[in-house]
Amino acid sequence: MEKTLVLLHTVDGQVPQAGLETLGLAKSLGGEFDLAVLGAGAASAAQQISGGAAGVLAVEGDAFAVSRYATDAAACEALIRASGAPLILAPDTMRFHRALPGVAERLSAAIDTHVVSLNSEGAVERWYYRQRIEASLRRAQRPWILLVEPGSQPAAAPQPGAAPEILSVSCDTRTKIEGFSTPLAGEQTIRPDAPLLFVAGAGWTKKQKDGAVHVEEAANLILDFVRRTQCSLGSSKSLVDLSGEGQAVLPFLTHLHQVGQTGSSPRHKKGLATCCHGEEPHVVGWRFIQERRAINLDPNCGWVRGKADVVYVADAFEVMRELLKLI
Amino acid sequence: MPYQIIVCGGLAPDPLQTLEPVFDPARPSLKNELMLPAVFDPWAAHALYEAGHLARQHPGSVVRVVSLAPKAKLQQVMMTVAQKLPLELVALDGPGGGFTDAAAVAAALADAIAAMPDLDRSRLLLFGGWESATRGAGAVMQRVAERLGITEQFLAVDELSVEADGSLLVKERIEGGRHQISRCSSPPVMLAWATGNLPEPPNHPQTGMANMRVIMPALQKAKPVALEPAAEFLRTALPSVIRQTRVVKDVPAAEIAREIAEWIRQ
Amino acid sequence: MHEELTDQPQAQPLDADIVCTGFGPAVAGFLRTLTQGLQKPEMAGVESKAMPGLPPQIVCYERADDISFGVSGVVTRARAIRNSIPGLDPAEIPLAARVRDEQLIYLLDPWGVTRRPAWMRLADQLCRAFSGVLGVAHEGLALPWVPEFLHKQDGFIFSLGQFNQWVGQQVMMSGLAQIWPATPVASPLIEEDRVAGVRLAADGSEVRAALTVVGDGPVGAVGRQLDGHFGMPAGHRRDEWAVGMKMVIDLPESCTLEEGTVWHTIGFPEPEIFGFLYVHPGRIASAGIFVPSWMDSPVRTSYRYLQHFIQHPYLWRHLKGGRLRSWGAKSLLESGRRGEPFLAGHGYARIGECSGSTNVLTGSGVDEAWLTGTQLAEAVLELLREGKPFTRENLENTYVARRRASWLERESQTAERARNGFQWGLLPGFLGMALAGLTGGRLSLPRPREDRHPKKLADYYAGRLSRSEIERARRRAEAEARPLHDILMDLCGWPPVEYDGQLLVSHQDALLMGGKVQAPADFPDHVVFRSPQLCLQCEAHLCVEICSGEAIRISPENPAGVPAFDREKCVHCGACLWNCPVSNIEFCAAPGGLHSAEN
Repeated sequence: MEKTLVLLHTVDGQVPQAGLETLGLAKSLGGEFDLAVLGAGAASAAQQISGGAAGVLAVEGDAFAVSRYATDAAACEALIRASGAPLILAPDTMRFHRALPGVAERLSAAIDTHVVSLNSEGAVERWYYRQRIEASLRRAQRPWILLVEPGSQPAAAPQPGAAPEILSVSCDTRTKIEGFSTPLAGEQTIRPDAPLLFVAGAGWTKKQKDGAVHVEEAANLILDFVRRTQCSLGSSKSLVDLSGEGQAVLPFLTHLHQVGQTGSSPRHKKGLATCCHGEEPHVVGWRFIQERRAINLDPNCGWVRGKADVVYVADAFEVMRELLKLI
Repeated sequence: MPYQIIVCGGLAPDPLQTLEPVFDPARPSLKNELMLPAVFDPWAAHALYEAGHLARQHPGSVVRVVSLAPKAKLQQVMMTVAQKLPLELVALDGPGGGFTDAAAVAAALADAIAAMPDLDRSRLLLFGGWESATRGAGAVMQRVAERLGITEQFLAVDELSVEADGSLLVKERIEGGRHQISRCSSPPVMLAWATGNLPEPPNHPQTGMANMRVIMPALQKAKPVALEPAAEFLRTALPSVIRQTRVVKDVPAAEIAREIAEWIRQ
Repeated sequence: MHEELTDQPQAQPLDADIVCTGFGPAVAGFLRTLTQGLQKPEMAGVESKAMPGLPPQIVCYERADDISFGVSGVVTRARAIRNSIPGLDPAEIPLAARVRDEQLIYLLDPWGVTRRPAWMRLADQLCRAFSGVLGVAHEGLALPWVPEFLHKQDGFIFSLGQFNQWVGQQVMMSGLAQIWPATPVASPLIEEDRVAGVRLAADGSEVRAALTVVGDGPVGAVGRQLDGHFGMPAGHRRDEWAVGMKMVIDLPESCTLEEGTVWHTIGFPEPEIFGFLYVHPGRIASAGIFVPSWMDSPVRTSYRYLQHFIQHPYLWRHLKGGRLRSWGAKSLLESGRRGEPFLAGHGYARIGECSGSTNVLTGSGVDEAWLTGTQLAEAVLELLREGKPFTRENLENTYVARRRASWLERESQTAERARNGFQWGLLPGFLGMALAGLTGGRLSLPRPREDRHPKKLADYYAGRLSRSEIERARRRAEAEARPLHDILMDLCGWPPVEYDGQLLVSHQDALLMGGKVQAPADFPDHVVFRSPQLCLQCEAHLCVEICSGEAIRISPENPAGVPAFDREKCVHCGACLWNCPVSNIEFCAAPGGLHSAEN
């Protein structure tokens, strides 16, 4: 196995879970590896996990405390060059996903993202066509940067080791980070730490058995459920589109809620899909949900058949009314 | 300030279509790839709608789409896209599937942009989707920008506003359902868009007719691009997870609710 | 460069030279012939009148979201298509194949549930009794001979969607015509006795053109409005229709059917319903049925009949284990020449199915539609070359004259009275068809004074179901929001359809998996019930029963009896339009519908 660089960044001064997972993958390969950490408190964070690493590097300082392309790209370029390892493993966080493709360009390197496995023969697996096709591939080109999908690997236990060599990197940028915002939908978006994903399908806004639409009740049932269970709220594209088009339908839904082909594929332990009849393209949205249940009027629907563990053939309005009495 | 907004966007199979891979180690593809109806890549489409919106707010701005796709398919798709907003097109005639290499695609796009005779980097906003709906790598736009020397880059953008001093305020998606807000003092910048907040504009036949006067000639002179394979594929397959679905029916809603409540609590 | 960018450009009239409505085989043939002709040296001096200095401005507006979205079971001799495209190689067109083995199959009734007349039941008994001699197997008899008028042996199997896309790309790559999908045309611009262009549904834009080419199919909004305004030629009317519904199926590995196989079927799922099965390249088959207007059943559900059709033992042995790729439905105008409108007038011409070109005797429409398009294109090239205007006289002397002198006219005359017999009954129908077909139309049965119409439910089920059973079924259907025909067919002994989630799926799943039906949010409902009072008085609600997408239904909460319409399920087949016994349905142009390129 060729030499590997494990490239991580800190979050609040610590290497996050996704970083430990990437480290776990590197260790499982059994070859020699370097460790490089970027961000606020990088040196200390690196030392806490550098056990077993051949070389340890870090870039820290105010300019690198924030997630920003220009500075991140300069730091990552310096760290990769300093290590010289032909294979670079990094977690597929938003920060690295923004920075590393451009770094690959600077280094004439290859890059693959959303990697879910790597074996010692150098074959990686990843998804194509919005998680609808899986592929395994190999590359001869080096350096080769692999962004490892969070949640796809077991995390390494932190093992302290040598202190890092701190690289000095300078970089000009026209960009300043002003802060963060939480969308208006607040608690009702996709929250990675929630145990349950609730998916609202377009059926909530369609004519019900009585021939009328009941959007207000649908909105109340959904929001009430989400608040009480503190679950993530996802939605299908058609429902989000309707909201975006200014129609009076579930206005609290935005594209941030969208799961499926043109949305996210969040990782949760449990998922409950409601009124998603026929929205099969969005099945990919719960590809990484471990336990899946659905409330649907048609048991033969493509959304559930062979893809859910349980389908309740029932009126979601009635079930949710009852469910809210119990939780 | 009027901007030059360049939107990179390819084609993707209409999301409703059933996809099946056909394996070839050098050039995997989709079964009946040419037969599948295509749409403008949904992520790039969001970028395009944002570009149109921005151009309207800043008179004199130009929206230019750079697209690498099989020419005949691109022509077909542009008949819909062209009805959405005023735009120009730079067409590259080449393979458009998901298994093409991000680096090669980026090189072709960057070359086409660099060759634009009136390219003005001081007004340049380079737009694209944060990922394509085909390759799904999220690696092309950063590489295009690097090749054009653009080091101010943003990924998964949902909002862009131009401040009174001309600086650009950008909202990017980050983990945890939050946005990071950055201010960039001036172009050139690259923004790889998530969904933004704008709906798809309705079709506007007049806009389409006006656009076609420049789009048709652009398609006629689309430059052929060959993309060399850069990876060796070992396997392409549909995910094969089939679950034994338990169907619960003819059960009162209250009983179903009890079962679900119990499952949530576990 | 666009110096001025406004939010919503004002809807100024657009000027073109030729505007076409609908992109089907007729307009495809028209545009291909026209754009190729315009590239010839003798056309070099022809320039646009709308935009002097430029070549003629030719635009086509198609309602569907893509030029490849359409429906037809196409097995065609392709005489006109091959004439336009010498050396046509089916390998260039996805799903196209040469016809290799063509058979006419008589399907017996395996479950004793169809409404066969006595002579047909006797035929079944004879087939079973002499199965060894006749070669009856799997409840089907391959007839030894396909009548000359029906055969397609030298032809092709196409997917209409793929064929349209293939031609459309060639047309657009010529740079001489634009085809705009997702752009329904609301109406023609009629100014006194001439058509001056069209009005688009999206924003009300007027597109003014010297020539309006109307090829928007049997239920197209523009064609129907022209008929309303200009009337029909004496004695002509549109009173024979059918719903064609089909599935495109991935055949199971075990299937031994060869590419190019063509079966025409009669006898099942009801004697009036003809069926077909074609095998495309790549282990893909099209299977479908035609439910005609002269079938007297008031519960003429196409989808359930299609499910039983594919499960007939003769077909099911090949299809079982297959997977639904695509599904769709359309109306067919089967009046043929009797349904022919005025083919040309000042500033307009009619081509394709809306011009009555479909031949019901040969069961062929695509090639005929193509031919009408090419004939109009040749006429237009001639008029452009000579600098003559698109007046009625000039179009009649060029386009209509070409059409009248062609095989299309001869064959449509042969077919004109071929189906008269079906208005008397099934046996006279078959006899009349054979008579007309075999004598080249010289002999045919007369048409009865009264056409055959769907019966009242109680009359149709007399002897099978009592009035009270029917009434109970109706109440159950309303309470359970189920189609009435499903319950009635169950009561009559039709076996339940066991869904396998792959090929046998619920009607709703066929819409979603096979039809991928879409409706854009920013258009109003395109099916409108004009007078609620008339719906209230209607017993049959044929619009509900025939609806190919279950988009029209009686709502239990709406006791007024006005059906509810859900455009997100509508496939735009237009069957509601001609099934409404009191013509109470307005069927407007709208985008959306099927999103399948394989039909």
